Parts: sequence; structure tokens; C-alpha cells
Amino acid sequence: MNVRIKYSLLLLGVGTILAFLPFHPSDSFLLKSDELLSVAASGENSFTVDQVARMVNREDSTIQLIDLREASQFKECNIPGSINIPFSDLLNPMWEGTFNQRNLRKIFYGNGDQTANYAWAIATGLGYKNNYIMKGGLNEWFKTVMLSRFEGEKISPAENALYETRFNARKAFKQINSLPDSLKSRYFKAKNIKQMKLDGGCQ
Amino acid sequence: MSQIKSLRIVILIVGVLLVLVFIRNSDQNVFKEKAKTAIEAAWNKSNLLTFDQLKKYTTPYLIIDIGDGKRPDSLLFQRAVKITFSQLLDKANRKVLDEANGELILFADDVASASRAWVILNQLGYKNLRILTLRSNPEELNYKFQPDTTARLEQDSL
Repeated sequence: MNVRIKYSLLLLGVGTILAFLPFHPSDSFLLKSDELLSVAASGENSFTVDQVARMVNREDSTIQLIDLREASQFKECNIPGSINIPFSDLLNPMWEGTFNQRNLRKIFYGNGDQTANYAWAIATGLGYKNNYIMKGGLNEWFKTVMLSRFEGEKISPAENALYETRFNARKAFKQINSLPDSLKSRYFKAKNIKQMKLDGGCQ
Repeated sequence: MSQIKSLRIVILIVGVLLVLVFIRNSDQNVFKEKAKTAIEAAWNKSNLLTFDQLKKYTTPYLIIDIGDGKRPDSLLFQRAVKITFSQLLDKANRKVLDEANGELILFADDVASASRAWVILNQLGYKNLRILTLRSNPEELNYKFQPDTTARLEQDSL
């Protein structure tokens, strides 16, 4: 039989199988469900707001805070060092560079816990490593970091350290988010360029 | 006959591929849905159900209580089964999920477990799956940021 007919039949067969495949390799989860469930149930994939505040204060370069809210909400206020990846835009290939950095700890947050946990499960399921959530989201950040006050006569060294962490994080949060919109845009633009340079991209 | 003989290689390759696809398909642990479907459902909050909405439910449903198992059975909802989150996909529990009549409603004391369980089950292809929540919008910001108009950044930050 003619070689061309053989190849055609082979391609037709493979094509038919591919057409009827129920899964979508490019945007389906790579992890198996039992693997994802065991990671999800391990409970080792979240940080408290105090831990995040400490990282923000020391400008920890091993973390990337990811704000999952809409751009308008992000612009209004966000944790210093965050980038905005709206949850609805999570699968945009533009963010691949951020998600693919194996040694970077990606910390998702929203206003509450729900969106961050969805994003965590989706990113982890898609095979990206080192994903975390900030427990309680921005609501917990406001409650613990922004509004906490020390009330008492004596303060222990541990309490003092915690208070200082929260105070410094609060100061940074207020400074960045109090900037007028024009300066804020310049600040984030400068930050994005710096990030792109670190990622090896061009301006 | 001679034509089939000359097509042996083609039939063999397609056959092997078919077997591989069949094996992969029959694995219950492989996710089959697009991640996009989970994002869309979660984004428009069509996967959430409040207690008030549940009270008015007339269609059949089954509540899956995926709490940590510390809650006594007496505090369980009616029409509910208790499945610990880490054992959600055990064979017996999968059978419960598969054979449920009507909607599957996930409930957990912590939002993290319910949200993660929802994503996992959604991606496994379970339809009519919802999360029972106290509030219709758990992602509402309860605080309003008040800018400090006297705050200034150091010049080198810009």
C-alpha cells in the first residue's frame, strides 16, 4: 500500500483519538486528585499575617505576594511588595513567569480566605510549586496589623518584637497606599521594571 | 488481506495509543475538566449557597460535612454525611459522592477546606456542587483604608 495512505490513516487515527480525549493537557490539572488532596490537607501552605508582616518589613526577596482582587481594589490599598493578579485573570499566560519560579514562595491573598484558597488549589493543581496563602486575607491584615494596639502596663520582649513588626508593616502599608494615584502609578511602574530586570526580561 | 497486512504498523500504533488513552481515562484520580471552568464558577459566585437559600430548597441535596470530625454527630445537618477532608477521595467516600441524589453541598468550619475541596471535586467533573457559606459574599472587605495625607515616600523609591 502507498506510504502516503499509511501515514494519512495513522494521522487520522491519532487525530480521532485526540479529538475525543476528555482532558485538555494545556489547562487541566497536572497533579492527580489524591496528590492534590494530600498537599491541600497537609496544612503547611499558609502564613499568618504576622509572618507576612515580618517578610514585608525585611523586604524578603524569596516571596511574592499576589493580590487576587480586582485592579480597582488593588489600587485603593494593597500590602507593600504585592503584585496584582486578579483571580479572573489567573490563567493568563502573562503570569507564567511569576508562577514558574520554583524557589519563589507565592503568597496569595484576597479580602477573605476563599479566593486565595481557590487560587492556591488551581495553581498547585496546575503543577506550580511553592504556593501559599495569607490566612484571613486583608480583613485579618487590617484587624491584626493595622488596628492592633498594645494595651497593658508591662510589655515582654516577645510582645515588643511583635508590636514592632506590626508597627513597621503598618507604617509601610500606610506610606505606599497614601500616595496620590500619580505617584502610586510611578512607584508600581518602577517596581515592575525592577521585577522585569530581575526576571531577565527587557523594558 | 494483503492490504490489512500492509497496514499492520498503523493499526498497531493506533491500538497502542487507544490502550494508553483508555488506561489514562479509567484512572479516577485524573482531572478531566478545564481549570477555566472552576475560575468562572468561583468568580461569579454561582457555587455559593447561603443558609437562607438552603432553607428554601425544595430540590434534593446532600450536605458533605468536611470538617475535622470533631463536631458531634448530633450537630450535623439533616441530610448530611460527615467526611473528613483528607479522606474525601477514599473509595467509600467517592461512592457516596457518586451516588448522591441531587446537589452536593460542601460545608466546613474553615473556609480553606471547603474551597479547596470544591476546586478538587469541580475539576474531577462533579456537577451541581456548591459551598455552604454564612455570608453571600465572604470576600467583602470589612475595613476602609484611610490614607494618611502627610505620608511621603523616600525619593529613591520612585
